[in-house]
Amino acid sequence: MTDKTILTVDNLALSYGSNPILKGVSMQLRRGEVVSLLGPSGSGKTTLLRAVAGLEQPHQGSVTIAGRAIYDAAAGIDVPAEKRDLGLVFQSYALWPHKTVFDNVAYPLKLRKVAQNEIVQRVHAALKNLGLDHLAERYPHQLSGGQQQRVSIARALVYNPPVILLDEPLSNLDAKMREEARAWLRNLIVEMQLSALVVTHDQSEAMAMSDRILLLNGGVIEQQGTPTEMYGQPQTYFVADFMGSNNIMTGRIGDIKGGEARIDLDNGLSVWGLRRTNAAIGHEAKAVIRVEQAHVADADGHNRAEVDLVTSMFLGDRYEYVFHAGKDLLRAWGKRHEVPGKRWLELPGDAVWIF
Amino acid sequence: MLQTLPRRAVVALLALSVFFPLGLVVYQSVLSGPFFMPASLSLESYAFIIDDPDFWLAAKNTFAVAIGMGVIAIPLGAILAFIMVRTDLPGRKWLETPILIPIFVSPVVLGFGYVVSLGPVGFFSVWFQDIFGSVPWNIYSLASIIVIAGLTHVPHVYLYSSSALRNLGSDVEEAARLSGASPFRVARDVSIPMVSPALLYVGVLVFFLGFEIFGLPLILGDPEGHLVLTTYLYKLTNKLGTPSYHLMAAVATCIIAVTFPLVLLQRVLLKSAQRFVAMKGKSARQRPLALGPWKWLALALILAWLFFSVVVPVVGIALRSVVSSWGQGINLLDVLTLDHFRAVFDESTMIRAIINSLLIGTLGGALAVGGYLAIGLATHRKNDAISRFVDYIVLTPRAVPGLMAGLAVFWVFLFVPFLTPLRSTLFSVWFAYAIVWLAYGMRLIQSALMQVGPELEEAGRLVGASNARVSRDITVPLIRNGLLGAWLLVFMIFEREYSTGVYLLSPGTEVIGAQIVSLWASGAVDVVAALSLINMALVGVGLAVALRFGVKLHD
Repeated sequence: MTDKTILTVDNLALSYGSNPILKGVSMQLRRGEVVSLLGPSGSGKTTLLRAVAGLEQPHQGSVTIAGRAIYDAAAGIDVPAEKRDLGLVFQSYALWPHKTVFDNVAYPLKLRKVAQNEIVQRVHAALKNLGLDHLAERYPHQLSGGQQQRVSIARALVYNPPVILLDEPLSNLDAKMREEARAWLRNLIVEMQLSALVVTHDQSEAMAMSDRILLLNGGVIEQQGTPTEMYGQPQTYFVADFMGSNNIMTGRIGDIKGGEARIDLDNGLSVWGLRRTNAAIGHEAKAVIRVEQAHVADADGHNRAEVDLVTSMFLGDRYEYVFHAGKDLLRAWGKRHEVPGKRWLELPGDAVWIF
Repeated sequence: MLQTLPRRAVVALLALSVFFPLGLVVYQSVLSGPFFMPASLSLESYAFIIDDPDFWLAAKNTFAVAIGMGVIAIPLGAILAFIMVRTDLPGRKWLETPILIPIFVSPVVLGFGYVVSLGPVGFFSVWFQDIFGSVPWNIYSLASIIVIAGLTHVPHVYLYSSSALRNLGSDVEEAARLSGASPFRVARDVSIPMVSPALLYVGVLVFFLGFEIFGLPLILGDPEGHLVLTTYLYKLTNKLGTPSYHLMAAVATCIIAVTFPLVLLQRVLLKSAQRFVAMKGKSARQRPLALGPWKWLALALILAWLFFSVVVPVVGIALRSVVSSWGQGINLLDVLTLDHFRAVFDESTMIRAIINSLLIGTLGGALAVGGYLAIGLATHRKNDAISRFVDYIVLTPRAVPGLMAGLAVFWVFLFVPFLTPLRSTLFSVWFAYAIVWLAYGMRLIQSALMQVGPELEEAGRLVGASNARVSRDITVPLIRNGLLGAWLLVFMIFEREYSTGVYLLSPGTEVIGAQIVSLWASGAVDVVAALSLINMALVGVGLAVALRFGVKLHD
């Protein structure tokens, strides 16, 4: 733990009744860093965020913000949500419908007994920063989804919280706006040097926005690292499967040479790949390869097999080919249209992971 | 700490307000005499009523009324709901409000309306006799009481079954249609089974309402001496001549022994009914079932029911309040008079009753809603032991008929030294009203509170507002409209209330409802007619304002 660390979660556990949601999660957020909590629904990522915010009741572990313990089960510390001084941007934005945009953003300052003229000035500064100054007198229902989201961010930032928490910040925007908002939000966080914890279920959103990703699975952290590490060096099958779009095939280990192994797949193919399992020869295993790593080759060769091309689908920026290999459907991407028929498909050995 | 202290205080005050009067009733029932006189613990009051043949007669009649009401009201209410919600009946929109009127008219006023309309010399009886030669009905028989009680409780059944039918997604019915079921089969195999939990709940509710019915049997059962348990209790005082509090308490305890389990049963059934609704499909716009030529028959039946349960009593009262006398061969135009209203406005007691009724509806209603809101906020989004405890406290007064709740509150104000000076003030009446309608008011408040998205309150906490600040700055402003609606509904209910004030009636605490009960006993029909009309007018104003503001009359 360095003095750059602003948020520390240590061995946090939480249950709903007898149903454990978080099973001892530890993580750190450094000053000026964006960390994403990624995971499928039910993995506990939103619960972890809400526990940090003080909206859920853990029963074990501790949470420290800027050196101040805000939750510590052992020491009996549990600072109520309103005293934690955190900013949270809700998935639904949670703007108060009976207050104007100005009043929504001013409310945190009013609670902190800031002088009226300073409130006016700081709220307008915050709104201007987010390009909302002209909407100050509107009510939330008169705004578009994107504008509501900005108001919600302004409200969470106006009192300069040390950490800002974002719960699925982009999920309420339509698909096209989401990509623009993603870039805008990343830019805002970097420019304002915010320390942010973001919950998302979308792996590309997590990779685009964050410095580090924590992948949760069933209430524990499966793996954490930079986006390139998470995508390029998955340590477990779950991580490999969750990140990116993949071809997944099952089979048995056929041979082992150091860090590599050969897997004899149930679909009749046989490929070499990076060994990520301790399974011995003859044991069941899975081969995973990213769709973009598989490609059509001209002739036979290492890790190549002749398979049936069934169809090519035009995706706009590329084609996706669908192959039959035994009972499996394999996918690969390419630049041009291909007619159905026999093709050589290459699964490069350094891109195949065997779990 | 600061947040839990007012919460505990609210809950403690609530528990005391509910359980102390109730405990006093039970305690009184096992004493040999009134609690303020030297008396010993004994079961002689129970022995007395068990030996009293009138008690058994009253109990028998009560069951007859409760069951008969269900037999009449449940099928009619369910059919009415189906026609109103699911078919293309002409004028459905227009009929929605009149159907609910019987709920908002005081039963004692309603009973009086039937006497002056259909009684031996009632308006409609006389007109009927003029045309057909004789009148085939006897309004004072037990059968008439059951029929009238049944028909005037149709709206209660209608309320619950119609909302269940509305919540039923049309996709489940469409799926049945596409699988090959005719509209009739759809109703039989899908729609009705899916609303059956609501119907079961309503069945228990109607039986329960029948068990504590008071106004109708008081007015209609009197001439031929048909007693039910509540009127038996009311007449006990006259029976012995002395304040027989221990006997009244024993009867009250017997009634509560039946009603309390019924209330708990209703709670369980309502929960299961809601679980059913939670499984509903998506409620797309429902296509109404075409009735074809049958729609005119359906409309005629509904209008006939409305005529009998709304027009007949209301017209009767309106006419009776402006005629000096009425009988065979009298020309209506010869006997028109405003003397009855003059008599009302000449008497200071009557004016006080009207002013008090207005005060208790407006100011008292607002205070009651404020109190209900405090209780609602104390348990809002807190699913702990205290909240569950409050759930049960709130239900308890529901089991106590208003007459007895008023009696219990009267005893409390007799018994507790520092409350004694307040006994002959309107505060005692307000207190009793607020307790009696606790469950009703809490339902209004809780359904308003449930409309507030939890994240709006969490956002308040996150930016630094304490629980109390969140309530003040976010939750309460967001439910303003719900609170206004609750206030209007409580106003109407408080205007309509009559039995709760009966034992609290004293100079200074007169309210219209209790005044009618007391005047009826003295036979002052003219003044009762005028007061009844004024009472209906007050409720009507409340109803008009509520409709103007778009308040939903039910949930």
